[in-house]
Amino acid sequence: MPTAHKTIPEPDPAIRVRALESLLIEKGLIDPKALDVLVDTYEHKVGPRNGAKVVARAWSDPAYKQRLLDDATSAIKEFGFSGLQGEDMEVVENTPEVHNIVVCTLCSCYPWPTLGLPPVWYKSAPYRARVVSDPRGVLREFGLELPETTEIRVWDTTAELRYLVLPERPAGTEALSETQLEALVTRDSMIGVGQPKSA
Amino acid sequence: MLLTPELVPVVTSTGASARVAAHVAPRFRAGDQVLIRNWQPTTHTRLPGYIRGKKGVVEKDYGVFAFPDTHAHGKGEKPQHCYSVRFTARELWGDQASDRDSLRVDVFDDYMDPR
Amino acid sequence: MNGIHDLGGRHGLGPINPEPNEPVFHAPWEGRAFGLFAATFVFAGYTVDEFRHAIENMDPAHYLESSYYEHWMSAFEHLLTTRGIVTREELAAKVAELSKETNRCC
Repeated sequence: MPTAHKTIPEPDPAIRVRALESLLIEKGLIDPKALDVLVDTYEHKVGPRNGAKVVARAWSDPAYKQRLLDDATSAIKEFGFSGLQGEDMEVVENTPEVHNIVVCTLCSCYPWPTLGLPPVWYKSAPYRARVVSDPRGVLREFGLELPETTEIRVWDTTAELRYLVLPERPAGTEALSETQLEALVTRDSMIGVGQPKSA
Repeated sequence: MLLTPELVPVVTSTGASARVAAHVAPRFRAGDQVLIRNWQPTTHTRLPGYIRGKKGVVEKDYGVFAFPDTHAHGKGEKPQHCYSVRFTARELWGDQASDRDSLRVDVFDDYMDPR
Repeated sequence: MNGIHDLGGRHGLGPINPEPNEPVFHAPWEGRAFGLFAATFVFAGYTVDEFRHAIENMDPAHYLESSYYEHWMSAFEHLLTTRGIVTREELAAKVAELSKETNRCC
């Protein structure tokens, strides 16, 4: 049903944010330096390279991989990756038979400690709407075509569990070190819309 | 509490888990067949419309968490089990959908009934 | 609620258009908006669920047309004004003051 009124335009978002931030500072309720630290943390310190380390370790060390599948939160915490939006983790493993993809249809839930903040496309309506009902079409948009025989599993992050895909280790990488393996792990492969780089 | 720069790393590395350390009996366990309730509140819920009234199978019990439907409205945590529930693509999207693909949705105890 | 945010399975929303190598924040204001979550969460007494519901209650057309951190701003303004931490009048006055400074119009 259409709304009865036209949407009231809002101020320029930069001004809107400055307005709220300055009011809260004036009232002594926030410290802007804390915001500086938060911005720096998620711009520079927390990102998909964290998840890549977890994946590379799982590829190299079968015992770690088992710990990761049994208790992802603890296994990921072995690296010191923990906390906000990653308090309760689940890792889902890609195999030749099964390909996993993660979404949050209702908002934008995403495992921050391992992947950082989500990209715009993940949080936007087209992905959230389509990946649950047309995962192959979505993967095609990302340039990934899977065999018809692969089972696609789409995980909708409707509660407070956060999901990380463990992609398949690329062929011909037996001789690579963990650090070299890390470089093959892409963010998109840990969401499930891509595969890792080849060796 | 004022969030200071020194507190930021503590807050980000600790987070705020929604798990509740309460002993609540689960109504379901892995393998159970379920039917998602026709629950349509005008208030907050994490039950997506596309699974309402659909048949699924419980895959895993994740344990006890705060219930968003009440927690969003100052009505308490109402802690309950949250499960990973499997739905086939055809169950959700009709006969034109893949007969192989599936979905996993995290579903609270209050959102479903046995079938 | 059966709101606009409940998008799973909807048709007609268009291509995904992923931006290659996108920055974490597309403008400094996005970073500040991001930071405001933790900074207000620790004192204002709202839950993450309440925050999400505030976004779900946005005007549906505006929800689809506005950017992600604008959703957060809508939520903060709702949560903080309903708790009397700031008022809509204070916000409007501050916006007017800042707009004059930067010669931008609302």
